[in-house]
Formats: sequence, structure tokens, C-alpha cells
Amino acid sequence: MSSKPRETANVGAGLWKATGMWAWLFFRISGVLLAVYLLAHIIVISTGHFDWLDRLMKAFDNPLMVILDLALVVAVLYHALNGVRVILMDFGIGIHRHKVMFWTAVAVIVICFAVFAYVAFTFIATGAGVNW
Amino acid sequence: MKAETINTHRGGMWSWLFQRITAVLLIVCLAIHLILTHIANIGQIDMENIGARLANHGLTAVDIILLAAGLYHALNGLRMVLMDYWFSTRSRALALTAGLWVVGLVFLGYGIWALWPWIG
Repeated sequence: MSSKPRETANVGAGLWKATGMWAWLFFRISGVLLAVYLLAHIIVISTGHFDWLDRLMKAFDNPLMVILDLALVVAVLYHALNGVRVILMDFGIGIHRHKVMFWTAVAVIVICFAVFAYVAFTFIATGAGVNW
Repeated sequence: MKAETINTHRGGMWSWLFQRITAVLLIVCLAIHLILTHIANIGQIDMENIGARLANHGLTAVDIILLAAGLYHALNGLRMVLMDYWFSTRSRALALTAGLWVVGLVFLGYGIWALWPWIG
């Protein structure tokens, strides 16, 4: 089967079905989004025009932008925790418990997201961060 | 399980290994980065706030690791994705790899240049 052209091979997916398919697909989508975001982030933050950046960052302190920030947090959390799952698989941890591993990762994502969402909605409601 | 469905080494052994090393670095440094920017300083981010944090050499180091590891991980990840599509042949994959190294080094230089006042 190694003679099969890569274009037609079942690339990257491993087993193209069920939960693993979605785990792989969202990993890939979030990865590409984060790569694009990272490059844009570096271009903008590194310009050195402090006045311009201060005005830009003021513009980010409105509810719509905070919600978009939360969407970014979801992409980061999903990519990070699914990545941890993949690395654990590389070490042979959980290879007979794929679904348990995946849903454990999702549970950790939900818990972490709850913290970020709490801070974000507190900021939207009160205009300030959470006083821990 | 068939070998070709589970081959994680298509991009090369070092690419595979460094993708995992940078992943672990990113989890630690990105957690610090997101807790400081999204949780501790929400609504207060401006260049003064960022500068105050960069005055701490430990956090400047975190930012440099984020820059280097983030660029490697992002561009190597894009490389792996693109090699599943049009860049699948050997010559195209080589051209892609060379191109992405140029992009990565330019962005690394640009980021280091911006951080230089706090490094030097």
C-alpha cells in the first residue's frame, strides 16, 4: 500500500470515522486558524507604534471583541488539550481508551473555558476584571 | 493496524520531535501568557501595561520562547497540512519547507527587534 499516492491516501486522519474524525478535523481547523492569528499577532504587536497600538487595544475592550477573544480561547484550549491527548497517545497512554481520553480532554477544556468566560462576562458586565 | 494509516513521520523525524517539544513549551508559556493578558489584566492592556511586564526578564524570556516555539509549531503545522494537499510531491514539499523557513526567520527577527529594548 506504500505505493498509493499521498493525494488519495487517507491522509492524517488515521481512522476516518466517528469521534476521532471530528477530533482530527477540529485539530486541523483550529491549528490553521491559530497559525494565521499568530502571524497577524506578531505583525501587529511588533510594529513599535505605541500610540497606534494603544488606540487599537482600547478598541478591543468592547463586548463584541471580548466575545471574539473568547472564541480564540476556545481554539487555543481545544488545540492544546487535543494536542496533549495526541502526545499521550505517542507514549502509549490511553491507546485502548480513545473515547475516554477524548472526553476527558473535552472536560478539561470546558473547565478552563469556564474560568475564561467568567472573567470575560464579568468584564462585559462591570467593565473590570475579577477581583480574586 | 495498517502502517500507512498511522505513519506520524511523514514530515521527518526531527519535524515530528520538535513539533512535540515546542508543543510542551507552548502549553506552559501560553498558559502564562493567557492568564496574564486575558485574566489578570483584562481591560487594562496597553503598551505601558505590557512594558511593565516585560521589565521582568523572566516574562521577557517567556515571550521569546513563545515567539520562537510558536513560529516553529505554527509553520511546521501548516507545512504538515499543506503537504497533505498540493505540496505532496518531494520537490514541492522541499520548496514549501524552504519558503516557510524564510517566513519563520523573518518573523522571528521582526519579533526579536520589537522586544530588543527589553532584552538589551
